[in-house]
Amino acid sequence: MTALRALIRKEAAVLFGSPVAYLTLAMVGIVTALVFFDHLRVYNQTLFVWSSSTMGGFETDTIPDYINLRVLVFLPVMEQLALMLIGLVPLVTMRVFAEERARGTDELLITTQLSSGRIVAGKFIVAYGLVALMLAVSFVYPATSIVTAGLGLRHLAAVYTGLLALGLGIASIGLACSAFTSSQLVAAVSAYAIAFVLYDFTWATQFLAEQPALASFLDQLSMHPRFGGFAEGLVAVPDMVYFAGLGAVSFGLAWLSLDLERVR
Amino acid sequence: MSEPSASQAGRGCRIEAQDLVRRFGDHVALDAVSLGVEPGETFGLLGANGAGKTTFIRLLTGYLVPSAGSVRVDGLSPIRDARAVHARMGFAAETSRIYPELRVRGFLRFAAGARGLAGRDREAAVERTLARFSLEHVASRIVGNLSKGFQQRVSLAQAFLHDPPLLIVDEPTSGLDPLQREEIRAQLAEARGRRTVVLCTHDLAEARALADRVAVLRAGRLVALGATEDVLGADDPLALFRPGDEATA
Repeated sequence: MTALRALIRKEAAVLFGSPVAYLTLAMVGIVTALVFFDHLRVYNQTLFVWSSSTMGGFETDTIPDYINLRVLVFLPVMEQLALMLIGLVPLVTMRVFAEERARGTDELLITTQLSSGRIVAGKFIVAYGLVALMLAVSFVYPATSIVTAGLGLRHLAAVYTGLLALGLGIASIGLACSAFTSSQLVAAVSAYAIAFVLYDFTWATQFLAEQPALASFLDQLSMHPRFGGFAEGLVAVPDMVYFAGLGAVSFGLAWLSLDLERVR
Repeated sequence: MSEPSASQAGRGCRIEAQDLVRRFGDHVALDAVSLGVEPGETFGLLGANGAGKTTFIRLLTGYLVPSAGSVRVDGLSPIRDARAVHARMGFAAETSRIYPELRVRGFLRFAAGARGLAGRDREAAVERTLARFSLEHVASRIVGNLSKGFQQRVSLAQAFLHDPPLLIVDEPTSGLDPLQREEIRAQLAEARGRRTVVLCTHDLAEARALADRVAVLRAGRLVALGATEDVLGADDPLALFRPGDEATA
């Protein structure tokens, strides 16, 4: 455990020793604010237009159901936060293994008390920590929306559990991609490709009308429908298992790549 | 530079390589190399670029798995008994193989922790090593901002942290100025007799100055093995490095 703790501290120091982590966190804060206030503006405009056109008041019992913070602000903001994770997380994970290999420092690591499994574990833990930090930065605006809309903290907890699961799933894909190359660019591009394809298979299922079993299977593989349940406030065990499985497979692949490197 | 503290080094480790082969696809990087290194010996591994020196080192550290044959450190396999072998081993590669974002003290703390040192033992090892390598005045500086000579010194220092009986150094003075070379050589000379040192180099002067025995690799094959003065004392020792008839030792 001493060696693993040392690796975790080193990974965190390397991550925060470069501007990438700070820029990513700043991007999360800025993008979340822009997205949130943009949707809030749309909500206010819709409310104002409805109020002006009907000469109605602002009492909640007279406002139609479709004009509410949950539909016009909260859910679209969550959806865009999920896409933002796909855009930003691979930028953080691309360097984790690839840089180590390109610098040759993997050779130094392997001559310590760290096994391949512990090296992968240490790197996953720190990358997961940064994803959690990204979501913490993005927390304030959706939280305001939830509290103002009266949806309750349980809904907020469900959504953030989903965002966390999605973020960790994307990070896992990015880390596995980084483990198979010494090029950060290749790691990032392959992580984007896999994450975007895996995010939603709707584009494929429309071509598979005559093969419903395959369409259903692809739908089961998609991240978006899994995340959708969380966004609605539902924490379902199958969805949690899906994201845990994604992490486990990625962890195994990263471990395998480190061991394959030694027999290549 | 101060003396190291209580040593676990003793007299070093025994290394035995038997018919060691490493292939990369069709390319044979190391071809049936057999050699032994005695405890406390400083052993020079010589050869031109691409001769197979680094491959041998990587097999010895367990970074690569042999295609055939075996290598043992005190009778242990660097693959199957990795933790036990790595506990005996300090490894210093070339300058670039350190973390330029970290501060010197932070890097040494990490290297000590990764070798299982914790708490006071770790801090004591770091401070001792900083003093030993005259790095105290740069301990708070970022590694990437140091000169190449200091970076190499840091790279070598991390290998001494746990006071290992086996030290493996790959091209330790490559690209350094004469003064920096002397400083690094002085550190390695200090280890003579106290630990086993495997010195991988293509610098004959360095091998003459430090090694008790040397092996010369050419195109992956062992072409000479013996006492340094015997192997490098010939009229034209460079003949051993030139491509040609691969006469084995």
